[in-house]
Amino acid sequence: MSFKVIKSSFLSTVQDYGRLNHGEHGMSQSGVMDEHAYCWANHLLNNYFNDAVIEITFGGLVLEAQTDTFIVVTGANLGFKINNEAAQMWHGLQIYKGDVLSWGSHKSGVRAYLAVKGGFDTSILFDSRSVNLREHIGAKLAEGDTLFCKGFDEATYRFIPPKYIPNYNKDIVLRILPTYQFNEFSINQRDLFFNQDYTITNANDRTGCRLSGAPITIKKERMISEGISYGCVEIATDGLPIILLKDAPTIGGYPKIGTVFSLDLAKLAQRQPNTKLRFELIDMYQAQKQRKKFNQFFEISF
Amino acid sequence: MHNIVPAGENALLIYFGDKIDATLPKKIGNFANQLKNTLSDVIIDVIPSYTSLHVSYDLNKISFQAFYNKVEVLLDQQDSSNSIVDIQTTHIPVYYGTEVGLDLERLLAEKNLDLKSFIEIHTLQEYLIYAIGFSPAFSYLGEVDERIQAPRLATPRIKIPAGSVGIAESQTAIYPADSSGGWNIVGRTLLDLSLNNPDNIDKFHVGDKVNFYSITRDEYLKNGGLL
Repeated sequence: MSFKVIKSSFLSTVQDYGRLNHGEHGMSQSGVMDEHAYCWANHLLNNYFNDAVIEITFGGLVLEAQTDTFIVVTGANLGFKINNEAAQMWHGLQIYKGDVLSWGSHKSGVRAYLAVKGGFDTSILFDSRSVNLREHIGAKLAEGDTLFCKGFDEATYRFIPPKYIPNYNKDIVLRILPTYQFNEFSINQRDLFFNQDYTITNANDRTGCRLSGAPITIKKERMISEGISYGCVEIATDGLPIILLKDAPTIGGYPKIGTVFSLDLAKLAQRQPNTKLRFELIDMYQAQKQRKKFNQFFEISF
Repeated sequence: MHNIVPAGENALLIYFGDKIDATLPKKIGNFANQLKNTLSDVIIDVIPSYTSLHVSYDLNKISFQAFYNKVEVLLDQQDSSNSIVDIQTTHIPVYYGTEVGLDLERLLAEKNLDLKSFIEIHTLQEYLIYAIGFSPAFSYLGEVDERIQAPRLATPRIKIPAGSVGIAESQTAIYPADSSGGWNIVGRTLLDLSLNNPDNIDKFHVGDKVNFYSITRDEYLKNGGLL
């Protein structure tokens, strides 16, 4: 049971929930960039929360099913088609051997997710199927690749309430926890950080997202390197923020003003350059409560 | 004295000191192990580095405050006990030649050293592993003798071959895989430290030591070394 890659694209990789327990070996967390779209895709198929999917960045991918199975496509609208006809997203679909799945034209968002019943069965490297190109772990999909998947024995039709299908064209507010060196930034500098519109730049990939705006300052520009959290916001020497994402290095030496709440990073993962963005504070209690609710709904457990 | 700060909705950072100190890495490495053993049901990952330990935990099972309290209790216990843990030393063969040591010739001229003296200085030390990061299994080793310290290159190289041994300020390191980077390259090892061999992720631990020894051009080539 498999899919064949007919045409490869700019960047399509296999990802799962991530490589969570190898930070001490210098390995990034890796894993899907948009946990919201990813979790819904697996949930709609009644998959395990950690099942591997294909993360398709900006489209251009064509696959052929070598088996009958069920799939769900979520995330960015990249003109998803089956046999050249527009197909439904955020919904379980039965497909048949020989069907051609394509993502040809970019409409909104950045990353689409293809989940298959039972998950893609690529090799597990360091406890995860997530590909990390920076770390030479796995490779992006290439023409001719065969993507094995597990079988299925039950059709699953779960539905997503429409309010959970995001609009990726809106400007966003990222809720941020005061962490790391937050208190070492002066009140004036923090005010400047929270009271401006930042803009997402072109330097925006799986490793991190660089913002443009009015620079802020901190007395200590460099510090002793320390462990990095997913979503922490470094203030680089030029005074501008870099939000560190799934493929970021495990340690870094720039001061950090806070850590973006993970569920808001899912929104960031679908924003294109030039999107406006603001930060606002969230407290630990609220962040943990909301994330716990999300984890419980999608049955995420370690 | 320790200082604990939140690092994210499911992570905190424990500072064991505020400046680089050769006694800290082993202490931090030991505490990381203790934490993983004692709180194995809630710990997701640990990242030791120079003066701090980053810890992520399962927020499904424990709140920030409750986790913080548990960590504090363990830190107090650690302070009172004086556990001695073995320090492992890994010996790394290096060919110090200008064909593979891309910056060697320049460094020798800048430092006014001959090759023999340079090798003596670099191989004399047992280097402490202060941190692992940047890329998988990349170990930050210190401290490099002042006579051979050199700042990072102004323009990093796009590709440094796997096995290259570099110097940046007071630190030295081996690039486990082909990588971009700005360190001064002085030689290359034959050892494959890349993830091609999955066991390599357990070869180095923060707080352990690394020592380099010099091999000749002939030994390097005979064992499959590339120029």
